[in-house]
Amino acid sequence: MNNVLTTPKPHPPPSLSHPQSPPSPRTYTTASLARPLQIYRSTTTNPHLNLSIEHDLLTRSAPTSTVLFLYTNRPSIILGRNQNPWLEVHHPLLRRGLPGSQPTIDLLRRRSGGGTVFHDLGNANWTVICPPAVFDRDRHAEMVARALQRLGVATARVNERHDIVVDSEAEAGGTYKVSGSAYKLTRLRALHHGTCLLGSENLGRVGALLRAPGAGYIKARGVESVRSAICNVGVGRGEFEEAVGVGVEEVGEEMGEVEVVAKGWKELMSPEWVYGQTPLFTFSTCPTEEDPRERPPLPRELPAGKLQTNLTLRHGVITSASITGLFDSTTDKIISERLVGRNLFRSPSTKDLDVDGGDGWASILSAAVGSASSDSFATASARTDSVEALGKWLDGMLPVLPLR
Amino acid sequence: MASIARCLRAARPALKVPVSRVCSARAFSATTTCNDPPTDALRKYTKEHEWIDLSADLKTGVIGISEYAAKALGDVVFVELPEEGKRVQAGDAIGAVESVKSAADINAPVSCKITAVNMLLEEKPATINQVPEDDSHGGGWIAKVSVDEQGVKDLDKLMDEKAYEEFTATEEEH
Repeated sequence: MNNVLTTPKPHPPPSLSHPQSPPSPRTYTTASLARPLQIYRSTTTNPHLNLSIEHDLLTRSAPTSTVLFLYTNRPSIILGRNQNPWLEVHHPLLRRGLPGSQPTIDLLRRRSGGGTVFHDLGNANWTVICPPAVFDRDRHAEMVARALQRLGVATARVNERHDIVVDSEAEAGGTYKVSGSAYKLTRLRALHHGTCLLGSENLGRVGALLRAPGAGYIKARGVESVRSAICNVGVGRGEFEEAVGVGVEEVGEEMGEVEVVAKGWKELMSPEWVYGQTPLFTFSTCPTEEDPRERPPLPRELPAGKLQTNLTLRHGVITSASITGLFDSTTDKIISERLVGRNLFRSPSTKDLDVDGGDGWASILSAAVGSASSDSFATASARTDSVEALGKWLDGMLPVLPLR
Repeated sequence: MASIARCLRAARPALKVPVSRVCSARAFSATTTCNDPPTDALRKYTKEHEWIDLSADLKTGVIGISEYAAKALGDVVFVELPEEGKRVQAGDAIGAVESVKSAADINAPVSCKITAVNMLLEEKPATINQVPEDDSHGGGWIAKVSVDEQGVKDLDKLMDEKAYEEFTATEEEH
């Protein structure tokens, strides 16, 4: 069967239903995946689909082949594989979206390492997949830097962080980052992908999107992003693609019909991957031995100088909790114990954070309080007020994700 | 491990000391020293730079990445540990190591079942750079495994220490 790329579906499009027919437009075939040099350009701007196509190329292209894949995504934020969405991203701004764009900005976790990046239509992505023997961390960034030089970006070069930078015109010796790199290495293949800021209209907004309100309380294992000053190179997408990859084949939305790509897409969408893959982290309102930083002051609505919250989360699930100074110590202890095992992300497969009624921290805390001994409280209303104030604050600092 | 040793040339410091001279490589046997190679050594290496120590009864083993690979990777900032209880085939990705923006797969050297993982690496990922071939407490080993007949058969395809040393020496020349 030569048409193994198509998904078995009850009603496949006619071109996909006959193994003998030529491949449908804008997909690659097993034959093209075997070629020594392959260059593809995606016509879809769906970030999940593009990342899934990229992963499919990594796993299915011939081990000796070299593949170049070019794509741009609609506004989205892409976490590195071992990063923490509570630490890297301003979720309310993400949900608000950008002026004149789609309602929200997508949040994804990619499979490669490195830090968080912002994608939009003015930020081109380039991917090179090759055999390990011909790979090093700078080789392909240098290829892109040379292409930029040919396009008139004279100062484009690769720095010691394997990023492409250009000289700042305003400040002597200063540089701006225009392209960041990340890598994924498997047994047989090496993948290097990078961004290239051609002409993003959102440069001024990226900083705020990548600043989490709760960062001052969070200490995370894994990988933290490194901030860099960024700028556009002022090159059109068409000329960039032409300079980087000659002889490009288009792939498009149709790739979503390919079974393995559809499967990868679904995996990338799953809350278990985006949020549940988060390495261990702590959230604490006071300096601790592990994280002795001074903490930002708590808001006035919370019992000042009295309330302390210490949470440890593994894979987005609370594994230890200590809330003190909310009520009497016995009740605080009961509430803390009941928080253990709670998920801080919404997923169809997690039962305890009810998929419909989950109102974030208010509902998590009231569930814990509600089942604690009511004898130990002064009044029910005081109880509600404290829980609401703490819940509201935690929703800002350590939200249940994704927000609704 | 991915085939990093060759591909991360840019990040790799000059490595002239053969793996076998490194004491930590022998830590699995209390009776051996650096000058006295173990005679019962069942440590084998993959081309992708994982090692496995197999117990004398061929039933259990310990897995890690080689000194050579650890040097090539550069500073390890996070180790994604294998899933306990999982059964895997030789070559399956069981975890990953992140260093210098690279997520590199760790692959199972033989078919096996993961029985324990090295939680120390979660707290101190740099242990992989310091003592990658140490399978004792405090070492940079990655997982303990149980091995069945297939796993023992898979062992035949792997290199012993000497062969691995020669193999990495050839990679150096590239």
